[in-house]
Amino acid sequence: MEIFGGVLYGFQVALQPINLLYCFIGVFIGTLVGVLPGLGPAAAIALLLPSTFAASPVAAIIMLAGIYYGAMYGGSTTSILVNIPGEAASVVTCLDGHAMARQGRAGAALGIAAFGSFIAGTLSVIALTFLAPFLARVTLRFGPPEYFALMSLGLMLLTFFARESTVKALMMAAVGLLCGTVGQDTISGRFRFAFGIRTLEDGLGLVPVIMGLFGISEVLLNLEQREQQREIFAPPTTALLPTREDWRASTVPILRGSVLGFFLGILPGAGAIIASFASYAVEKRVSRHPERFGAGAIEGVAGPEAANNAAAGGAFIPLLTLGIPANAVMAILLGALMIHGLQPGPLLVKQAPDVFWGIITSMYIGNAMLLVLNLPLIPMWARLLRVPYTVMYPFILLFCLIGAYSVANSVGDGIVMWVFGIVGYLLKKFDYEGAPLILAMVIGPMMEEALRQSLILSAGSFEIFVSRPIAAGFLAAAVVLLVLPLVRRRSLPA
Amino acid sequence: MSRDRVSGLFWLAVALFAAAQGLALKLGSLHRPGPGFFPFWGGVVLGLLAIVLVVRSPGGNAPGGARLRPDNARPVVAVGAVFGYLLLLEMLGFVAVTFLFLLLLFRLERRSWTFSAASAGAGAVGCYVLFQLWLKTQLPTGPLGF
Repeated sequence: MEIFGGVLYGFQVALQPINLLYCFIGVFIGTLVGVLPGLGPAAAIALLLPSTFAASPVAAIIMLAGIYYGAMYGGSTTSILVNIPGEAASVVTCLDGHAMARQGRAGAALGIAAFGSFIAGTLSVIALTFLAPFLARVTLRFGPPEYFALMSLGLMLLTFFARESTVKALMMAAVGLLCGTVGQDTISGRFRFAFGIRTLEDGLGLVPVIMGLFGISEVLLNLEQREQQREIFAPPTTALLPTREDWRASTVPILRGSVLGFFLGILPGAGAIIASFASYAVEKRVSRHPERFGAGAIEGVAGPEAANNAAAGGAFIPLLTLGIPANAVMAILLGALMIHGLQPGPLLVKQAPDVFWGIITSMYIGNAMLLVLNLPLIPMWARLLRVPYTVMYPFILLFCLIGAYSVANSVGDGIVMWVFGIVGYLLKKFDYEGAPLILAMVIGPMMEEALRQSLILSAGSFEIFVSRPIAAGFLAAAVVLLVLPLVRRRSLPA
Repeated sequence: MSRDRVSGLFWLAVALFAAAQGLALKLGSLHRPGPGFFPFWGGVVLGLLAIVLVVRSPGGNAPGGARLRPDNARPVVAVGAVFGYLLLLEMLGFVAVTFLFLLLLFRLERRSWTFSAASAGAGAVGCYVLFQLWLKTQLPTGPLGF
């Protein structure tokens, strides 16, 4: 009953005209960001964060969340029409989506991507609605040792899902933890790694670091490649509705993708990208005609597109119930909540029910807006995709500069972004991933505090992490995840 | 040297530095961990991982070794332009610097003077209206007051 009251209250909040407007702006910008290759939701949300300072916390978070799931919708459009992923989570959609476009079935592909996204997005918000308050009640009993153990597990999950080597992912997590210690130590008040520089004394800003790692470095990498002539499949203005045959082939993959995506979305480090790949693999395996995959199988569009949207919903669970971000986007949302004076975690539902329920219910509305918005706007997006990158990238750099500067009106933050832009570029060149770094940097200070508090509680004994069953369980799972890749490698013939 | 070896040695240096800083900041005791506790152990873990990476990486001139040099100068130019923007931002003000920044990049992409100047002008004024007037971001003003 508590949930229905919450949902009702949430709709009252989300349906206020100002919040509806912010929701609309969010999903619109999100779709735009999804459509444009080379600008992801993490950089876009970091960029727009300063512009929400004047808004109410609810409106701000509603908009920023809208950008995230909106991008999941938009990404498929570019994948299907141009064969370039508009967004990392739409990489697999290129395979069958673009093949369908080549066969003149772009309309069906775009249509099923939009409907699949809507169905999965809505299902995952429903799951979020029921699961989040329940989990918030459970996690209320967590003390510092449980938090520390859980965050360790999160970091291990992150490195477990890493696409490149596990060692490198762990290294990035360690670097992130060190980055998180920059600035004033909350317990002793001492400055760490600040070297007398004002910007560093406040700690490394999340916004400039993310815009450097995901915004600037992306531009640099793109600039290095010679621009290819894009072949855009003129989108049909009619026939966007999938046929009955298409629906029959897609319904089960959409449902499967929704469930898979939702649960992978909850796990730190897994997220939308892994969810879409996993869904594609599953659909190909269960298909009676796996040879059709890659040659325009509609299941290969429906499943992954459902999965990445469901993952976007699932990712809100750890944020809203534990205050732990599952991916880089959630890390910025965490920062946004804190800037607006809210403490994400198990207490959020009690302390700020308007924010908690407002965000969740706005996602029902946002998904509906996206379905209505997406299909009619496709011709416009296609025109936008014709703008050459040489005209686009100076503006992307400029927006990053404005965003980094305006968080705190500080050129120092701009320099931090600049440095992390170069760092991100070099990391890619040397086959490292930026995601573990960001997450560890955000979780780091929380982990450090939890660890130090735990040790103070236990008078210096690490036994506290083993004697408390929940903490011990999390840590055991973390160890398993750490050891598993090593064992797997051993058992394989070299 | 293989790329893994180069990056591994770099992170090893970072790790040693972090651990040394951690020691200097005082580790504290297990009862009451000090400010250096986390940086020190973070550095130790990073260092051990870096050693694993270096040891496992193939030695000598492994294929794919020196891919460091970018294929063209555009990333370098962009990095320079962004730095220059930050350097001049508070001196010249938002509109002027933004105009120069966009003009430079468009010209370097071999766009015509007319296109570059018009786009840069529209971009600078457009961003000023969007961010300063509409979103109320505080952008730095130049000697002319904008």
